[in-house]
Amino acid sequence: MSNSPVQLLQGTLDMIVLQALSSMGALHSYALAKRLEQVADEPFQLNQGTLYPALVRLEQRGHIKGTWRTTENGRDAKFYAITKSGLRALEGEAARWRRLAGLIDKLLVRPSS
Amino acid sequence: MIAALRRLALRTLNAIRPYAREADLERELLSHVALVEDEHRMRGLSADEARLAARRAVGSSAYAKDLHRDARSLGYIDDVRRDVQYAVRSLRRSPGFALVAILTLALGIGANAAIFSVVHAVLLKPLPYMESDRLVRLVSNVPAAAAETAKPSRFTGSMTVAELLELRARANTLSQIGAYVPVITTMTDRDAEAARLEGWRVQPAVFQMLGVAPLLGRVFNAQDAARGADMVVILSYETWQRYFGGDRQIVGKTILLGEKGYSIIGVMPRAFEFPFELANRQFWTPLVLTVTGDAVRIRVPMLGQLAKGASTLAAEREVGAILRNLHDNGTTYELVRARDELAEPVRPALLMLVVAVGLVLLIACVNVANLLLARTATRQREIAIRAALGAGRSRLTRQLLTESLVLALLGAVGGIALAVGGIRILRSLATTLSRMDVGTLTSFPRLEEIGIDAPVLAFTIVAAIVTGALCGLVPAVDLSRVDEMDALREGPVSAFSSVGLIHRARTEGLVVAEIALAMMLLVGGGLLIHSFVRLVSVPLGYDPSHVLTFQVAMPAGHYKGAQIQTFAEDLVERLRQVPRVQTAAYAPLVPMVNLLEHTAGFRRTPEVPRTAPSPREDFRGVSYDYFKVMGIRVVAGRGFNENDRPGQPRVVVINRALARRDFAGENPIGQMVYLQGQTEPWQIVGIVDDVRQVVLDKEPTPQVFVESRQWPGMAPGLRFLQYYTVRSVGDPMSVVPHVRDLLRQLDPQAAVYHVALMEQLVSNSISRRRLYAVLVGVFAGVALGLAAIGIYGVMTYSVAQRTREIGIRMALGAQRVQVLALVLRDGLILTTVGIALGLVGAAITTRLVQGMLFGITPLDPTTFIAVSLMFGLVATVASYVPARRATNVDPVIALRCE
Repeated sequence: MSNSPVQLLQGTLDMIVLQALSSMGALHSYALAKRLEQVADEPFQLNQGTLYPALVRLEQRGHIKGTWRTTENGRDAKFYAITKSGLRALEGEAARWRRLAGLIDKLLVRPSS
Repeated sequence: MIAALRRLALRTLNAIRPYAREADLERELLSHVALVEDEHRMRGLSADEARLAARRAVGSSAYAKDLHRDARSLGYIDDVRRDVQYAVRSLRRSPGFALVAILTLALGIGANAAIFSVVHAVLLKPLPYMESDRLVRLVSNVPAAAAETAKPSRFTGSMTVAELLELRARANTLSQIGAYVPVITTMTDRDAEAARLEGWRVQPAVFQMLGVAPLLGRVFNAQDAARGADMVVILSYETWQRYFGGDRQIVGKTILLGEKGYSIIGVMPRAFEFPFELANRQFWTPLVLTVTGDAVRIRVPMLGQLAKGASTLAAEREVGAILRNLHDNGTTYELVRARDELAEPVRPALLMLVVAVGLVLLIACVNVANLLLARTATRQREIAIRAALGAGRSRLTRQLLTESLVLALLGAVGGIALAVGGIRILRSLATTLSRMDVGTLTSFPRLEEIGIDAPVLAFTIVAAIVTGALCGLVPAVDLSRVDEMDALREGPVSAFSSVGLIHRARTEGLVVAEIALAMMLLVGGGLLIHSFVRLVSVPLGYDPSHVLTFQVAMPAGHYKGAQIQTFAEDLVERLRQVPRVQTAAYAPLVPMVNLLEHTAGFRRTPEVPRTAPSPREDFRGVSYDYFKVMGIRVVAGRGFNENDRPGQPRVVVINRALARRDFAGENPIGQMVYLQGQTEPWQIVGIVDDVRQVVLDKEPTPQVFVESRQWPGMAPGLRFLQYYTVRSVGDPMSVVPHVRDLLRQLDPQAAVYHVALMEQLVSNSISRRRLYAVLVGVFAGVALGLAAIGIYGVMTYSVAQRTREIGIRMALGAQRVQVLALVLRDGLILTTVGIALGLVGAAITTRLVQGMLFGITPLDPTTFIAVSLMFGLVATVASYVPARRATNVDPVIALRCE
């Protein structure tokens, strides 16, 4: 059970992407994917199959903004940066998530106590 | 919230422009792969290994694109768009089919759009006045005993002055009531030449009811109708522009109308029209009603306004009670909404036209359904493959429906274009001479308001969607019978397969229905055209060709009594000298003018009888060459001549109808008779042909003619309104400049007006009937064409299906003639059944046009037979062509074709 990949809860990927961008600054999609794999302790199933829709969603909401730039290796890549509205959304989402996590925590802990 | 809206907007945008973001995504995916590749190379992999590894790591780019598309746009819109694209692609692959289907639908939808635009403007749209639903008009049904003409009469929109005063005093359910009467006058006292103006005298209450704000100044109020204070005038926008150059300082200025000073108090806006039933609205002055003597019996057009909250029914009851109290002569009264009263004369025709275009649309629908059916049959395999690949039945149905909806909407676009053109033609057909003296019975209400506006567009789109759904339904239902495996195995549908048989039965059923519907329409159109032809070929009793008619506006007050006569004599005498003029005459009325009725009081004894005979004689004073100008044939005795002057023996000419009525078995020539209240006798000197004086569809009444100089006192009110008639060699219009010249010599202040050919007046009088006959004729023609296309299509399809059968028959020795007969017989059986059903349907429905027929019954056998024969002929041709093709089948090829 603990070896199975973490199934992302609906909506959490958006928050994780925003969090990554807010702490790391502008990233292109590959760097972002790598970053997400790094921060996860457990195997973290992610391909652009799920990443790109999330990026589109966030960009359409105006939470992130993508611009084409050149990497240090001279590659063409689209760098995504978090916007002000993205920061606000992240704050709200994080607070909501913490509340939810706390609640789940309590629910799961109580029977054994 | 804003973020969600922003996303929805962008998704919708991306659904509409599906490829806009695709390139960007492609670039991003490539860059992603490249970055992964770089990394792998840095870790020491070879270039090829790195590329492979990167590809593996990134996964299927098609899958990624799909997910991305789902996220960035809206799924169902995407589906619809794909269906539409697919439909458009598959229609493009068969442009012939698409073109025929779209044109067919365009005809059906266009006809409906055009007729709906008329129905909307005439029957549905409120009149352009304040709270126009409260505006009502009185309809009186006077029984024969109380009617002046001794016939039951129906008066709509008018009442006597006495009735008006009574209602104004007593009715609580009517908040206002007002009358209006036409007035024709000459405007002088400007630097320009005298202008003849036609306007209306209206009670101030009328303007209060209409509630339309003036462009400048004010409208009438109650004080304006006080005697002495009524010398005020309101100008129409057109008059203001034309005669006063749109002077914004005009209010307060004085103009001379009929040599009296009127102070201008207002100008109405451009769109304002009142009265709605007649044109000629150049100005309005207050109407002061005379409430004494015989004047109270004068009938005037009226408009009433329901009190707030009062129902038409309650008002009708109250009005009826009040008026019965005034004169209890058995007259019954109705109150009708002004809009409905206005539409009343054309309502039955409009309903008939709605039915006609409904039939056209149904026929178009059946045709397209048949085409689609034939198409799905040949696409059986394609559909089966799609089904086998996992397309659900509902998905396939949706695909087929989308296709027919796309056709219908394209048809609607074509239909709107056709309707725009159609409305233009309809308007020109319905436009009548804008003249008070001839316009009352012939003009089409609210013609200016007919057009393609938002409600008409909405109706058209809804009609198209319903049509598309109806057309698509038949093949879609058929789809549910398709067995995929069967279809895949069999290939093209053969006539012997179960699908083929069901299909053929359905197609043939549709064609029979189509023929029956077209027959009904054709019979209706045939009846109207037949009546119209009968109407235009009735003997008029005169010859309208090469006759010019006009009137002359004479400055008021300059001519009195005999001077008017002298002027007319003088003008006619000079007209006779004009080159190419054969002769000229004048008369207070000419045929087709429907202003006033006169009665001769014709009798053979000096005593005036108590009761007037019915029908009463039509009495006309004419100048002596009138019969020659109008081409009225003298059948016995003589016409008038120059010597029938005052002081000479007094003579009359009667028509055949009067001779029949009063002189059965006698020779009227030489008999002495008495006219009106006179005691001196007149001698009959001639009999002329019966003239259809006012309308073509009524039998001529008894008529009496006198030479106008011999009875100067006759009809004094009409003296000013003489009609001049001129018979010329060649184009009568070439006489007009001479008329103007002559008038300048006679009196520079006199102006010629109402210039028209006699032929125009005749044609004008039947414009409504012509309009209906043309419209229904066109619709019937379209229906016939569509039905022919339908028969042709079905026969072609059936021949194609039976290629193998025909091949076998021919291989076994069947002759070409036999094959031809075989196919033709099938077509003719369908046609015969369809025609028979259509005749039954027509027999039931032609009652709809009964009121519009002239001289024939709704079951006119000639029309029924002629239309059946014509349809049979067209159907034979339509099935002959495919039958002919069947005889060219090469048995060897036919047998190999499957």
